[in-house]
Amino acid sequence: MNRYLRRTARTCLSIATILALASAATACSPGGDDQANGDNLTMWTFKQSHVAALQKAAETFKQKTGIGVTVEAITPDDAFLARVQAAAQTRSLPDVFEVHTNGDDFTFGAAGLLEDLTEEATWTSRYLPSVAAEGTVTERYYKQSQEKGAKSAGIKLNQRFSVPLTIGTFGIVYANKERLTAAGVTGSPKTWEEFVAALAAVRKVRPDDGGMSIGFQAPTTGMEWLMQPMAYGKLGKEGFTGLFSKDPAKNWTSPSGRAVLETYDQVTPYWMPGTQTLTIDDADIAFAQGKSSFAIGGTFTLAFLVQNGMKAENIVTFPVPSPSGGAVPDLSLAPFALTGLSVSATTGNKDGAVKWLDHLAQPEVAAQFAKDALDVPPVDLGGDPTATLGPVLGAMIGSFGSGAQAYNPGDTTHQPPSYDAAVVARSLMELTPLKKADVPTAGAGLQKIIDGYWAGK
Amino acid sequence: MTTDVPSSLGAVTVTRGRTGRGSGRRRYQGREVAWAYAFVAPAIILFAVMGVYTLFWGLQLSFVRWNGLTPTWIWVGVQNYLDLLWASPVFSPPVRAAATNTVWVMIAAPLLTVVISFPLALALNRTRRFVGLLRSVYFVPYITTGIAVYLAWQYVLEPNGAINTLLGALGLGSLAQPQGWLGNPDTALPTLIMIMVWSAVPVATLLYLTGLQTIDPALTEAAQIDGAGWWRVNLSVVWPLLRGITAVIVLLNLRDALQGFQIFLIMTDGGPGDHTNVLGLQTYRLAFQSELAPTLGLASALGWMLFVAALVVAVVNFRVTRER
Repeated sequence: MNRYLRRTARTCLSIATILALASAATACSPGGDDQANGDNLTMWTFKQSHVAALQKAAETFKQKTGIGVTVEAITPDDAFLARVQAAAQTRSLPDVFEVHTNGDDFTFGAAGLLEDLTEEATWTSRYLPSVAAEGTVTERYYKQSQEKGAKSAGIKLNQRFSVPLTIGTFGIVYANKERLTAAGVTGSPKTWEEFVAALAAVRKVRPDDGGMSIGFQAPTTGMEWLMQPMAYGKLGKEGFTGLFSKDPAKNWTSPSGRAVLETYDQVTPYWMPGTQTLTIDDADIAFAQGKSSFAIGGTFTLAFLVQNGMKAENIVTFPVPSPSGGAVPDLSLAPFALTGLSVSATTGNKDGAVKWLDHLAQPEVAAQFAKDALDVPPVDLGGDPTATLGPVLGAMIGSFGSGAQAYNPGDTTHQPPSYDAAVVARSLMELTPLKKADVPTAGAGLQKIIDGYWAGK
Repeated sequence: MTTDVPSSLGAVTVTRGRTGRGSGRRRYQGREVAWAYAFVAPAIILFAVMGVYTLFWGLQLSFVRWNGLTPTWIWVGVQNYLDLLWASPVFSPPVRAAATNTVWVMIAAPLLTVVISFPLALALNRTRRFVGLLRSVYFVPYITTGIAVYLAWQYVLEPNGAINTLLGALGLGSLAQPQGWLGNPDTALPTLIMIMVWSAVPVATLLYLTGLQTIDPALTEAAQIDGAGWWRVNLSVVWPLLRGITAVIVLLNLRDALQGFQIFLIMTDGGPGDHTNVLGLQTYRLAFQSELAPTLGLASALGWMLFVAALVVAVVNFRVTRER
């Protein structure tokens, strides 16, 4: 064909081809332009509900410093992590990430993707004391990182890879107040037995929509949000951590382990039909739409329920209760940092990124962010958070506990280093809600997987 | 005329110009050959980078432990393959369960597709009225297959969905699934297979229809003159003549069953529990759903094992069709 092209046409075509290839190559680095410009920061989050609130905070930040912040949500979590993996290979990471505290931040930090903020984070005294150090490599996390197969292998003691953005906890039961009342349940259940009785009472009055929903398509929800708090209440801290050990006298095959599974199995008749196919959001929506009468979630669930039309005054919340005669009768839930903020090691504007983190930790900015995102902030807002954040978020903060009577889902140091909760939790689903395994079989199945993780395989 | 290009561009014998006996050949000028290479180069470079490089990079990845983030890999050799096959109590049980489910899909989906699409094609081929409309209607599942359709099926299959409602209205409530068709571990996989078949039947029917229209009517007329009825003609004359098309349909469906996982990811994510997990989805899980555990190498190893399995299937299919 080339012999029919005039020389100038061929030259033009060649230049066009080169330009096209060059533009394709540069298109592979999406963060390039933003990062090259010191007046603008890019930030990635995996929470859509945080975007508007962060953008609002970015407006005041721009007025104060002249630095703009472009916030991009990448959801769900899996897509976010895959995007970070890809960006790490092409060195096109954003300036700032939102991360799962004491999880992603340590894994990213170990891979050299994040700045160590030990020197820069000078504002941590503004945080609640119980979460101020979250995002820092403490002795226990450092020790965990040295185990074979640890995701955070390579982190060093006292490094700080993130500062908290939101705090909260799992193991909150949401119940439909009107339906509880109609079924004769007038107070929040104080024990596991009262909780099961409340489930039975509502189901009896409302056989079609009286059940409990949870997003079992993410199988960890049943295990971590419902069973584990109950198990902690039943066995206490030592007994609970023993469940995840190699010791057959303490783990899932022990009498204690079987007792926990039998107790957990008591809720099997009360699951909403089809809850095993629902995502977390679908399960919450089912509760908000009245298709179920109970939902299990965390402090972060409230905002989603309200956004989906549930009236806050029709919601009763209480922590997953301890069984009667349990080792921790007055079980409460300890707050921990759910998400944090990290600075990319490849940022061209570290000072600006650190200023942005500092800005979000200002009490008035954090309070506004909390109200906009309906999420609990880590910043100490004084003795009466209700006055600042309103009754709903204020009450949530008031329900937090501490000390040995409080279950802290954020403490995972008793688990094997390469532990994947989703794999273990899928096995547990065979017991409930699927009813495909009995208690001894389910216990043996859980233990086999956990033993594999301890063996580093 | 045949000749060589200048030695700086390598010794290449080229032919050009008019076709046919006695057409002339001439020596290309170096400039022309250079331009030819320049135009081909982008495609070659793209193939080298996107094809050859990634292929070998992926193969190398299958021998390492890596989470996609750290600057260095940990070489583990064939341990990833051994862990997936039997060595690891964590990774091998789900792979074995997924392999069992995959085999069921590989058997049921092609078989049902052929069983449904061949009679459907025969019926459509005999239809004299509304042929175009009917073909369009039967083809709709293919052109609409995708995320939207899978989500729509989820609504149809849920506990209060259309299928349970319909069964109740027909007095067949005992067949309804109170937990939904995807919520019952015993019905979830068969249900997904049926949806895969529903998606595959249109193309299979179209291929059979194309084949039917290439058959010489004299063959079927001869059989009829010999006294063969409709069934006999189709089973003894038409079906053997379309065996090649059947092989293609089976191969396409086997490939989908072995490597496709979108329907499983979108509709159940392998659930309830792990009852609809398949090898394609397990590969995806190891790569992208392991919360940054260093399992990308395992995912790559499983991908290569799937590739080998697909290669075996293709070779077997090739030999079977060649023998016919």
